[in-house]
Formats: sequence, structure tokens, C-alpha cells
Amino acid sequence: MNLHIEGYQEDGVYVLKLSGEVDAYTAPELKERLLDLLNEDGTEVKIDLEKVNYMDSTGLGVFISGLKTSNELNSTFKLVNLQDNVYRLFNITGLNEVMDIENTIRGGM
Amino acid sequence: MSSTRQNINNYKELLEQYINTMDEASLYQAEQYSKASIQHNVSPDKIIEEHYKALVELFPNLDERVKASFQFLIQTMISYSVNYQQTEELREKQLELKTEIDVAANMQNTLLSTDVPKVENIDIGAKSVPAKLMNGDYYHFVQDDEGNIGTAIADVIGKGIPAAFFMSMIKYAMESFPEDRMYPKIILELLNRVVERNVESGMFVTMFYGLYDINKHEFYYATAGHEPGFIYRSQIQAFEEIDAKGLLLGVKKDTKYNQYVTHIQQGDMIVLLTDGVTECRSGDRFIEREEVLEVIDQYKEQSAQNIVDNVYKYLERLQDFKLRDDFTLLILKRNS
Amino acid sequence: MKGALTTVPIYKEWDIVGARQSGRNMAKDLGFSTVDQARIATAISELARNIYLYAGQGEVSFEEVQGDTPVGLKIIAKDNGPGIDQISKVLEDGYSTSGGLGAGLPGVKRLMDDFDIVSNENGTTVTVVMWLR
Repeated sequence: MNLHIEGYQEDGVYVLKLSGEVDAYTAPELKERLLDLLNEDGTEVKIDLEKVNYMDSTGLGVFISGLKTSNELNSTFKLVNLQDNVYRLFNITGLNEVMDIENTIRGGM
Repeated sequence: MSSTRQNINNYKELLEQYINTMDEASLYQAEQYSKASIQHNVSPDKIIEEHYKALVELFPNLDERVKASFQFLIQTMISYSVNYQQTEELREKQLELKTEIDVAANMQNTLLSTDVPKVENIDIGAKSVPAKLMNGDYYHFVQDDEGNIGTAIADVIGKGIPAAFFMSMIKYAMESFPEDRMYPKIILELLNRVVERNVESGMFVTMFYGLYDINKHEFYYATAGHEPGFIYRSQIQAFEEIDAKGLLLGVKKDTKYNQYVTHIQQGDMIVLLTDGVTECRSGDRFIEREEVLEVIDQYKEQSAQNIVDNVYKYLERLQDFKLRDDFTLLILKRNS
Repeated sequence: MKGALTTVPIYKEWDIVGARQSGRNMAKDLGFSTVDQARIATAISELARNIYLYAGQGEVSFEEVQGDTPVGLKIIAKDNGPGIDQISKVLEDGYSTSGGLGAGLPGVKRLMDDFDIVSNENGTTVTVVMWLR
């Protein structure tokens, strides 16, 4: 399974729409795309996970990198439309308390 | 049949014999010749050269075009064998590296080894198996002066060597803490600071830390984003998920952790695990967790070590004997 | 003929063939077997290819040399390219300067009897010899 990343701008916000799986194989590209955006001062990024049905700990690592980068610079990102099983990861690891997460949805598995 | 040693010098005679008789014996000798050539480091292009020379001697009127074709073949084989040797050396180097990693893995086992405490009324079982050579999971037991048992189970993101290095750091940080009774909350807060300072962004650790008071049978615990474990309650004969929340180690400086406590009754069992146990197939993981509990339930009358061994065997089979993630399972069982 | 120096400039890929031809002719004149001629040609290819691919231009020279008893063919490949930082690395198998296609310098070292390399920021000179057996 691959990860497809679609990027566009919407009302001044950068949107990354992901579909597929985020794992050790697909995470590096996502990390590069995300950090590229967050490395610019003041950018706002929205990551749409509606079509992501699987994520492993490497995927979490990408968002932790994003968190650290956005804290250093003045950029922000939020995660939207997480499926149940993906949200569960953020919940177990406590990351839902330190990241901006919106609109979790039912479904997936 | 002449000896092999001699044959090396007698390619021409062998060839002539074969051309005259076309028999199997000559072909067998050709086989011996090629084996001896390998032993004496004779490259393929040299064998072709030998063949060419023999041919020219046996058939002085050989067509010039056939001769030319041999020059062509020899040139091709020289390049081929030079490149082939290069590949061979790479293979050897690979083997060398693998040996070094084996040594590192053994060293890691020694560095990270922990003794399972022997306590009168608590039976402890532990098993940790890496998916690759180096283990990114870690568990640890300590006992304070009163015999209370501290236990840590941790999982570092990623597998292999970076994960293993990282675990050694955690272990030595933990060993530098004072020996007297340390509460889970404090340990996680101290470790978080160590990890936060030392870790490259994007690497992180989940850890569950528990302290078992062996006199009062209270179990204190805290979690840093670690997969929740279970407690088997003998009174209701059912497993309940350990309820705890806390942020991963290394994400935020000065993270505070909640500490929880629960009473452990006779016949109860504390089950701690890493996600390699429940995420062994990417798929419906809730069923997987239940499956693991079913296996534990099936063996619950046996010793704690037997239970963890059996769960491992079960999951190993489920994954076709090829672990996809590191596996670690700890069970603490109160007998009396 | 003894000590005579033939030099082939390398600018384009086709010059590699010219260098092979000059080297092979000289090896033949010196009495090398056809197989050794083929070995020498292979080594010249690699050296000339490195010049063509990594330095852009340079030259390959051939010289007859006298040892204690035997005669040898010396090949000198010279370029004014950026030089090689860590020669030991380049001589390791698997470190491929020609994109994995050629045998590269380790192969040249294996094919020839003597091998020497000098490199600095002004360029690289590789000197190899094969002795007549």
C-alpha cells in the first residue's frame, strides 16, 4: 500500500491531503513535505487524514518532528478527519493533548 | 583416470580425448578440471584462453573468423570476471558486517539484561524477542530494600541499531537514579528530561512504569504513551484494561505524569506488553488484543513464565514464524 | 622504441576506443599474449572512462619500461579534474566512480601488476604497469 500526498492552498492555509498508509516506507516523503512547509515562519498547515486507514509509530514520529519544528518557528499545523484506529494512536501516546486535532471520524477498519 | 592435479595442466589432452570419444568420462574430468580451477583461483577467462590455445594446436587450420570470435569472448570474460570478483568481495564484506552486528546484538543483550526478581508470593514471567537482530523493546526490574518491585517496559520508535543504542541510554539513565523507593511518576518525569535533551527530533520512547508494593499489594503505575496493559481480576474472572494516560517521553520538556494505584487481589495478574504483541498484523487490532487475552486466559493456571512463552509461541505461529515487530510481554501474578 | 611515449588525449567517449587501440598495439609489439592484451585494454578503458566521466578531459600515455629482467608496459592516466579526496575509499569495492558500470579502480588494480595513484586539487594521476611474464 502506498501513500498519496496531495498539496494545495486554501484561504491562505496549506493543505496536505493524504490517502493510503503512513508507515516506515512512506513516512520519509511525508516528513519532507511537512517540514518544508513548517520551516517557513508563520505558515499554517492542515493535514487531512480522512483517507489514511493505517498509521504506525513511524507516522507518529513525523508529526512529533512537525511539532518540534513548529514550536521553534512560528508555524502551526493541525490534523483533521482522523479515523478511529488512527486517532487511537494519538490518544494512547498522549499526543492528542499537545497537538491540534479536529473532526475525528468513525470508520476505517 | 589420471589425477586431478595433473588435469589442470592437461586441458588440451582432455579436450582431445573428448573430441575423439565423446564419452561421459571425459565430461566428468572436465567437471574435476573446473573444480580444481576454482581452488587454484583460475579465472574463467583463463579457462577460455586455455581452450583457445588447445583448439589452435589441435586444428591448425582453424577458420580465422572462429579465432576472432575467441578474442571477442576472452575480452568479454575478462570484464565479466573483474566485475564478478568485485561482487564477491562485496558479499564477503556484507558477511563481515553481519558478524559485527551479531557481536553488537550480543553485547546489547548483556548490557540490557535484567534479572527477574524472585519473590515469595508473586510469580513473574518475562519474554522479549527482537524482530531483527537488535531489540527496540526493553524491560527492566529493580527491587528496593523492602523487596518492592519496580518494573519498566518500553518501546522505542523504529527498530534495529538506532533503537538499540537509544535503549542503552535509557537503561543507564535509570540506573543512575537513587536505589530507594522511586515512584513511577517521578521516574518518568526524570527520564523525559533525559530523552528530551538527547534525542533527535522524531525519535521517541513509550514507557510504562509500575511499582508493586509487596506488603500491601498495591500497584502504583504511570505511563508515557505506552500501550495500555491489562489486569486479570480473579474475582470477576475477566481482564480489564489498565486505565492510564501520559505523553510519550522526549516530546515536551517538563511533562508531568499522572500516577495511579490499584489493589491486586490473590489470583490477579498484571499483564504488560509492547505493541509488537498486539499489532503483529496490520489489520483489526482490537480482535488481536482480545486474541492475546484469550491465549493468556487459556494458560492462566500455569506459571507466569509458561504463560508468556505460550503467548509468544502462539503469535509466532500466527505470523508464520517471522516476527514483524519486537515482542515483549511481562506477567506479574499474585499467588497468595 | 624503448622509452618511447605515446599519448592519447581524452575528450570524448570515442577517445576511449583510441586509447585502447594504442595500448593494445604497443602491448602486442612488446610480446604480450592476446589475453594480456585484452587485460591491458580493459584497464585502459576504465582509466579513460574515469577521465571522460569525472574530469571531462585528460590524457592516457603508454611507455615501455625495463625492470630487473623483464619488460613492462606502463600506462599513465592523467587529468586536471577536482581530484580524489580519499583514495582508500575509491579503491574499496562497491565505491563506484562510474555509476556501477565499470570495474573502476579496484578492477584496474587487480588486472595490472603495479598500481600507483597521486591526487590533489590540481588533478589525478594513475600509473599502472604490467610486466611481461
